[in-house]
Amino acid sequence: MIFIAILVGCIIGALLGMNAPVIPYTMSGYLAISIIAALDSVFGGITSVLKGNFDLKIFVSGFFGNAILSIALTYLGERLNVDIYLAAIVVFVGRMFTNLAIIRRYYIDKWTNKLAKKNENDKQDNITK
Amino acid sequence: MNKKRIAITLGIMCIVLAYAISVQLNTITNAISSAGKTETENKLRDQVLRAKEEYDRKYAELETIEKQLEKIRTESTNNNEQSQKNQEELKKINTYLGLTDVVGEGIIITIKDNTEGSMITANNDIIHDADLRDIVNELKNSGAEAISINGQRIVQTSAITCVGSVIQINGEKVGSPFEIKAIGNQNVLLSIDRPGSYLNYMEEYCMIPHEIKKSSEVEIPKYNGVLTTKFLKEQ
Repeated sequence: MIFIAILVGCIIGALLGMNAPVIPYTMSGYLAISIIAALDSVFGGITSVLKGNFDLKIFVSGFFGNAILSIALTYLGERLNVDIYLAAIVVFVGRMFTNLAIIRRYYIDKWTNKLAKKNENDKQDNITK
Repeated sequence: MNKKRIAITLGIMCIVLAYAISVQLNTITNAISSAGKTETENKLRDQVLRAKEEYDRKYAELETIEKQLEKIRTESTNNNEQSQKNQEELKKINTYLGLTDVVGEGIIITIKDNTEGSMITANNDIIHDADLRDIVNELKNSGAEAISINGQRIVQTSAITCVGSVIQINGEKVGSPFEIKAIGNQNVLLSIDRPGSYLNYMEEYCMIPHEIKKSSEVEIPKYNGVLTTKFLKEQ
């Protein structure tokens, strides 16, 4: 159910976006940084699901809050002539890599456990034979 | 129930995310056809795009303001015969000056650079500002009442100059192929194609082909700039 919702949402969003008018070039920098922020929240959400402490409220507020906050900070940086968006990118992408590493470890552990169990079962089968 | 709500929320978020990503991709592919080689090049490209956007916005603003002005003028002269006459006079003078879109019988000339030439003849293979000036002069000589090159109206202040690799008319860059439109007596205007004319000279010696089309409805846009005088005084 959840996976179907995600898949359908992605397809609808992509189709809508393909036919949407292009935004002004000046705005595309802000949109890019908000996309990075949203992606960071998505990976954070997946990690928290694996850890078992997923909270929908925190996830949704992080998704939109981070996006809006990063846009605001980028705008502030542009006004002050400081490239704040660089800091945002470093933080978000760094966290994305950490989360990806956690996700990878989780699945590799699972896989190794499965293999070990299978081997044990095979051994037991051989003994009984 | 709870699961359904989670699914719907996640679905909406996915829509937002996918929408944002595809809009961004569209924008970037539209803005940058090929990535720059260096950081400086990218930055310059960025600046040019920003300036262009600003220009487009200002131009649209100007257009709406001009429309408003036109509306106010017509409204204020609605019930007054004298001012209506003045209004018509104004319109006529604007047409003479090239400040209105005009239509009429005439010809459309299309010329483009010779792309099959070798490197040695490159200077002859391209159309220069002087070529355009000669053609415009010939058209004026044959009684053209309105002339435009690639949408740039030729008025009394128009200059056709060479700026590096392109030609500038009215301060706007134009490039090959050139579409020269002229309104006037068709048969007289067609003398531009007579043996020994500048167009035929270009075709013969520079391999620059030309194409002339007759049309009873040639549309020529108005001059986009502003005509101002600083030193001119009535005597």
